[in-house]
Amino acid sequence: MTLSAASRLRAVERKLLYWVSAYLLIGAGTLYLWKPLLPALVVLAGALIAMIGFWILHLFWCRFKFAADPFLLPLVAFFSSTSLIFLYRLNPAYAERQLAWLMTGLFALWVVTRYFLHYRLLAEYKYIYALAGIIGLLLPIFFGIEQGGAKSWLDLGFFQVQPSEFVKILLVLFLAAFLAENRLALAEGTQRIWGITLPAPQEWGPMLIMWGISLLLLIFQKDLGAALIYFTTFLAMVYASTARVAYVCLGGALFLAGAAAAYSLFEHVRLRIEIWLDPWQQAEAAGYQVVQSLFALTAGGITGTGLGAGMPQFIPAVHTDFIFAAIVEELGLAGGLGLIMIYMLFVYRGFLIALAAKDDFACLLAAGFTALMGLQTFIIIAGVIKLLPLTGITLPFLSYGGSSLVANFIILGFLLNISHEVQITSGRS
Amino acid sequence: MKANVRRLSYMVLGSFVILCLYIGYVIVFMGPTLASDPHNRRLAAYEASIHRGTIFDRRGEILAVSKEGRRVYPLGEDAAHVIGFVSQRYGRTGLEAAYDRYLLAMNGNDKIKMNINRLLGRPLLGNNVIVSLDSRLQQLATQLLGDRKGAVAVLDPRNGEILALVSKPSYDPNIIEQPAGRSSGGKVVTVYDLLQNDKEAPLLNRATQGAYPPGSTFKLITAAGALTTDPGVSRRIFNCQGSLIIDGFRLTDTAAHGRVDFFQALAVSCNSTFARLGLEMGAERFYQTARAFGLTLNPWTDVLNEVAYRPGTLTHPEKMNKPQLGSSAIGQGEVLVNPLQMALVAAAIANEGVIMHPHLLIRVQDPEGRVILQSSPRPWLTAIKPEVARIIKEAMVEAVNSGTGKEAIIPGITVAGKTGSAQNPRGKTHAWFVGFAPAEKPRVAVAVIVENGGAGGIVAAPIAREIMRAVLNPASGME
Repeated sequence: MTLSAASRLRAVERKLLYWVSAYLLIGAGTLYLWKPLLPALVVLAGALIAMIGFWILHLFWCRFKFAADPFLLPLVAFFSSTSLIFLYRLNPAYAERQLAWLMTGLFALWVVTRYFLHYRLLAEYKYIYALAGIIGLLLPIFFGIEQGGAKSWLDLGFFQVQPSEFVKILLVLFLAAFLAENRLALAEGTQRIWGITLPAPQEWGPMLIMWGISLLLLIFQKDLGAALIYFTTFLAMVYASTARVAYVCLGGALFLAGAAAAYSLFEHVRLRIEIWLDPWQQAEAAGYQVVQSLFALTAGGITGTGLGAGMPQFIPAVHTDFIFAAIVEELGLAGGLGLIMIYMLFVYRGFLIALAAKDDFACLLAAGFTALMGLQTFIIIAGVIKLLPLTGITLPFLSYGGSSLVANFIILGFLLNISHEVQITSGRS
Repeated sequence: MKANVRRLSYMVLGSFVILCLYIGYVIVFMGPTLASDPHNRRLAAYEASIHRGTIFDRRGEILAVSKEGRRVYPLGEDAAHVIGFVSQRYGRTGLEAAYDRYLLAMNGNDKIKMNINRLLGRPLLGNNVIVSLDSRLQQLATQLLGDRKGAVAVLDPRNGEILALVSKPSYDPNIIEQPAGRSSGGKVVTVYDLLQNDKEAPLLNRATQGAYPPGSTFKLITAAGALTTDPGVSRRIFNCQGSLIIDGFRLTDTAAHGRVDFFQALAVSCNSTFARLGLEMGAERFYQTARAFGLTLNPWTDVLNEVAYRPGTLTHPEKMNKPQLGSSAIGQGEVLVNPLQMALVAAAIANEGVIMHPHLLIRVQDPEGRVILQSSPRPWLTAIKPEVARIIKEAMVEAVNSGTGKEAIIPGITVAGKTGSAQNPRGKTHAWFVGFAPAEKPRVAVAVIVENGGAGGIVAAPIAREIMRAVLNPASGME
């Protein structure tokens, strides 16, 4: 029975992959017709390679009766296709590098779904993750290079790596394991402070320390966007596991305190807040990027200017954080909303997996990863449309950026593994 | 715990919904404003792909043309204010700004044609605009003003076409973006930066934005008000004793004119007479008369705005006391006008009391010469009745023939005019002349002001004379 369940699921996945492949080919075809800038065949070749990568993975899963959620891979394939199309449109050199990272990511995904099916074992090693995570964050401080105001990159010669992207995964693994183990104690608490029952220090100590250290390290790296994601994911997972709104409020208060401190301590945080509130004051200086992003967003109207007809060249770093603005300019409000909805679908499927999970660890892991992806997407899109200050993090699967892409594929792998386990255990029972 | 996860999922998905709503708001509501924001380079980039049309004067002379991607203004400083300029850094002004949509063919049907041309790879050409200005008049007026500050406004009273608008000091719009030195901080300073900081305000279009006391030229309006209230005024005799006391305030004349009739009073510009007429009329009537001539109004309200216009101002009747009324009646006090407004006053009297809508646009043509838009003259205000206009005209003719305006006499042509020497806090009086010719069938109305130039009859009248002569003299080929 498990076997046919897997086949059915993969059949659904296959149908969706046909659609995404068509989407990718249409996009590549449009670029092919769009002279004069593009070495046209390069686009088609790139698109073909990407497609083949996804299909090979799909076929592998079919062969090995992988019973994971059939929607996640096509959704991610959609993102990757959009990313490739737009990177080719913006600058083929970036697209080619992204293609290489995409292949690496697909390989990582394969590794995770092949060798980490029994992910549950990972729960045993939580303190090792904590240590590895801290080391990972320490490395850039001592050996790292600075990019875009954040000293969070390691230069490995041929390419650059951003450890904080991978440490994110370790953080969620650690928290899921720790919270699953201790959640009851944390939820109920043994002491009363200010009328709120709180657990004893030894209960929440290790977690808070671990989290606090990562935050501090991020601040030293000056990667405040990543710090924000770590913080919000932490709060999300604590809430999910303990349901204590008090903790969320405490967390919120801590956040405001931290934000105030950051505002007064860091020049560039002040700047970011200023250009968020009124970028037009500095429209030709620090606020240029946000202002140009807004122009791009509105230039396309509802249906967009059409692929290739927009003017993304006015936005600095348009291939990374602001790729969303370029997409909305050319695909319009309709395209932007569509993209956001696809992200919503991804989050929805992720939470479905969490809700179907059999035990606390799996549930928290899935919820944590999904919350991580969702919050990151929300924060960066909000920054691009000036709903929130800009934070310099990547749009998952869409922005140009290797470490982010590979890390996100690893997260996808874990989500799929959990989903697979849910399927086969429910199949047996 | 599943319940928590469920709630968490709602929160995360909810935040995405907020994202959708906000981005919808940004695009739908902020979109149009952002599209025309000066920091938005899209419009400039789009425009750069279109060959901007040419602005021609009434005889086909080029006033503004695109050459090799730059905009060239052959008349240079002679027409800088009215033509304006297009600059990426400093925006667009004047007619260049007003006719943007025509010159870039961005109007309705033109847009469709443009998109088709774009798809087919044809050159994208904007439309051409023909305006009522006469480049030779612009040059002449600039020359006549010379080094002095001031303005000239010339129009055709029969149809409201503006023939010339000149403002001095002026500048060369062709070079405004060129570097002109370095500031104390080491930054490069352009010609425009210098112009902006120049205390002489060369960027101001004095012809339409100037705010000057009109002096005795305002007596035309006082006369109109008096005649409208009581047509018998034209038969009255006045006794000018050289000054008039109004509530303790002493209003003086340049001389004691003695017994003068209405026409002589205007011809010699008797202050006592007109101050008295103003007082008799009352502040309310006085204000309404001024308004009837267009004071406080902008002719370009509700139509395509062609010039930067500062409507004339006058103290409100409730706040005007008798001494102010007396002073205002002779164009001092708190009356402030721009030269074009005074030319419109002359045009009203010339055109039997009807002010035709002043305008510059004659027609818009596509690159192949087909007429896309043709303007037609239409009336703007009825300032006074024809009988009143006739009487004032007669007085203005006398003013030129035997009064203060003798310098405006043109052999063979009957000129009607009124001089003015407006006192002002900054030195010598402003020299004004306002008039039209030929008096029987006027074809040109003109207003000239020379800032701090002295006596209107001596300094401004000769300039007006030469301009009217140039327009009317068939030998010069002008209309």
